[in-house]
Amino acid sequence: MTAFVVYLLTIAGIYGIMSLSLSLQYGQTGLVNFGQIGLFMVGAYASAALTVVAGWPIILGAIAGVAAAALFGVLMALPIGDLRQDYWAIATLAAAELIRVVFLNATLGDPYVGASYGVSGIPSPLLELIPDGSYGWFYLALVGLCAAGCYGVVIWACRSPFGRVLKSLREGGDEVAQALGKEVRRARISAMALGGAIAGLGGVLFAHYIGYIDPTYFLPLETFLVWAMVILGGSGNHLGALGGALIIQIINNGTRFLNLPDQFAALRMVLIGVLIILVILYMPKGLIPERRRRYGGRNAARR
Amino acid sequence: MITQILINSLIRGSELALLAVGLTMIYDVLRFPSFVHVEFGTVGAFIAFSISSILPFGPITAIVIGGCAAMVIGGALGVASDRLIFSRLRDATPIILMVASFGLAFVFRFGSQAIWGASPQSFPLPLMRSWSVLGGRLAPQSAAIIIATVISMLVFYFLLNRTRLGIAMRATADDADLSEASGAYSERIIRVVWFIGAGFAALGGILIGVATQVQPNMGYAVILPVFAAAIFGGIGNPYGAVLGAMVIGLAENVGLAINWAALLQPLGLVDTDYLAIPVGYKQAIPFALLIFMLLFRPQGLLGRKST
Amino acid sequence: MLLAVENISKRFGGLVALDNVSLTVRQGSIFGLVGPNGSGKTTLVNLISGFLRPTRGRVLFEGKEIQNRAPDQIARTGLCRTFQITLNPQRMTVMENMLLGATAQYGERIIAAALRPGRVRQQEQQNLQRAWELLEMVHLERHADEYAGSLSGGQKKLLALVQVLMAEPHLILLDEPVAGVNPRLIEDIVKVIVQLREQGHTFLVIEHNMQVVRRMCDEICVLDMGQVLAQGEPEEVLARDDVLRAYISAGGDIAQAGDPDAAPTETTP
Repeated sequence: MTAFVVYLLTIAGIYGIMSLSLSLQYGQTGLVNFGQIGLFMVGAYASAALTVVAGWPIILGAIAGVAAAALFGVLMALPIGDLRQDYWAIATLAAAELIRVVFLNATLGDPYVGASYGVSGIPSPLLELIPDGSYGWFYLALVGLCAAGCYGVVIWACRSPFGRVLKSLREGGDEVAQALGKEVRRARISAMALGGAIAGLGGVLFAHYIGYIDPTYFLPLETFLVWAMVILGGSGNHLGALGGALIIQIINNGTRFLNLPDQFAALRMVLIGVLIILVILYMPKGLIPERRRRYGGRNAARR
Repeated sequence: MITQILINSLIRGSELALLAVGLTMIYDVLRFPSFVHVEFGTVGAFIAFSISSILPFGPITAIVIGGCAAMVIGGALGVASDRLIFSRLRDATPIILMVASFGLAFVFRFGSQAIWGASPQSFPLPLMRSWSVLGGRLAPQSAAIIIATVISMLVFYFLLNRTRLGIAMRATADDADLSEASGAYSERIIRVVWFIGAGFAALGGILIGVATQVQPNMGYAVILPVFAAAIFGGIGNPYGAVLGAMVIGLAENVGLAINWAALLQPLGLVDTDYLAIPVGYKQAIPFALLIFMLLFRPQGLLGRKST
Repeated sequence: MLLAVENISKRFGGLVALDNVSLTVRQGSIFGLVGPNGSGKTTLVNLISGFLRPTRGRVLFEGKEIQNRAPDQIARTGLCRTFQITLNPQRMTVMENMLLGATAQYGERIIAAALRPGRVRQQEQQNLQRAWELLEMVHLERHADEYAGSLSGGQKKLLALVQVLMAEPHLILLDEPVAGVNPRLIEDIVKVIVQLREQGHTFLVIEHNMQVVRRMCDEICVLDMGQVLAQGEPEEVLARDDVLRAYISAGGDIAQAGDPDAAPTETTP
């Protein structure tokens, strides 16, 4: 039971990192990324392939995974300005699926690594140093640390003048920001790079935790679960994104140990769907609404 | 060989066409891409399957009756979705509508799984021998799919051009073109569009179920090809959507059959004599086409709408 | 000359929106751009601010050609604009809007912001200081922490005006600064604009309200069907017969256009 709770919290933490990434992209910048899982997948695959096939140390594989996902984010960002919002959303969904089909077909060096065989034997960090029974706790702490770090980065970025520009893109669109002299394209590319890097870190943590990945882990369904987390938690509030991740993962995984029949498993997803609809209809700001930043009076500024 | 490719393309195109027609109409009238649309196909297929399995008739009669009933129920589900959810979000941004639509897609897809189970089921069709058509093979149920699609499109054409409501709808569409205004459609037209769109989607799902199997993720599996077909035809253009569906069907089948080396070698791009797209990448063809269209020709091939 | 528009033409397909328009704006003046609806005023402002490219002709700002530059580039060189319908980010507070208005912010590039946090903080303090001063000038300081979307129509216009001032622009294009604003606030807005001119700011203003035009403009240009109909001092130009006729044939009326109640109300508070 304890092991299960540790597992659940670890997965929730990894998805919390994912939803922080989406919170930055959608909550702050207004970008409707329906290919979120693609960023996660690129991070996971890059790190897994480099550590398993090329034999890189885990830390270098992780850095490469984060960088690869950031690069994918930049690629996704390139056409945003020229595309209608809904078209970009569909295009991102298609792009993530396209990458997934490539991973489903391409072998990675070895004919039995990659493709539908997946990548197995992904090493776990510091496995030999941690006493046997407590590795789960160690990894939970690692994920928690990473989630806290990502939270800090996202909060910092959103409170900076950079974050203000992102918010103006969400609220006013390109015209207003351009009229105010903002480099719209650069800001969006930066946002997607940062969002990609964070989601990529989630993917890296996922790959080295589970130890085995294949393309079935990265279905578009996962993207929509991350959306549910952000919408439920409150888009525009990054703490809400973390809370949403915990709630959705408890619904999604929390009853797994009960060994209920398949059809009950489907009901969990129905519940998530109903939650999304109810939140949109009756609580559009989510559990923790976006906070206004207060500057106080003039005297506060002088102090 | 070529005949077979064309037959297979036509079958695939027919499967996608009905789903794409409804999607493009709802997209046009409500101005958001509905991610729940293909799930009306899933639910419709399951309902048709359930009804046909309890009817005391021969399998083909039962499937036809079950299919008609499922279309009506699917259409009604579409109208109910609008009344309960989307009508309350008329002023919302397309983003919110998209998110609501995939929330509802979860409900339909996994609701189907909860009711009917995750394992694939087949309509109880008798074993039928394929016909030989101009050197290709065509299974009777595939022929039925093509015929059902053609009949549906004729009915659709009649509705749009010969009924008062259809004419009113087209007039609104033309006005909306001029004024660029959303919310131009009356609530009555919106309801009818949901009914027809979801009903056609249900039929599309039934046809896919007849051709292959009925399972909870069958609608989800075609969501991107259906989007590709609708975008290809130009959003708001039902005939374009049918054409788009045929193009996607053709691209999937022809793309695999082509020896790309013959095309690329003269350009000096490859130095092998044979280069084909591996079968595993077949499903990627519509994804790639979709991205290409969105980037370079979002108004579609026929381009009725420029927005 | 601060701004010189030279022989600008703009076609949209077969439609000629602007035909060989030239005008110059002097440093420290308020230049009015008037004319009936559809005469090409907003098109001209969009051309000057870089949102449209001219089919022919040049735009010189401080002696440099700017007609091929991107809007954000133009804004950063000191030519800033507001919009007819105030598009200020609604779910950002008034103060956030103000801080957004400042250009050349070091912290708007994420890597720079990460590398030099001290410098970003310092710049932010300076901008905050200036924002308070400007908000006090238009009496919006009490609303600093409210969402811009919750302001009244007139307050939004004021916010758009002072937000642009955050960029310390050399020339400000105002697209109907008093449209849809109640008479008392119109008075405030006009006073602020005139006061800013006294401080040396330069404006190019599109305005329908002829009383306002008469009161504050040093020079005006009347556009009709994409062409310059008349240019010169407001009283002189507005008394001309052809100008009157242009308004009347366009269904408008100068006397009525001067009536605040008849002002078009694009922005409902």
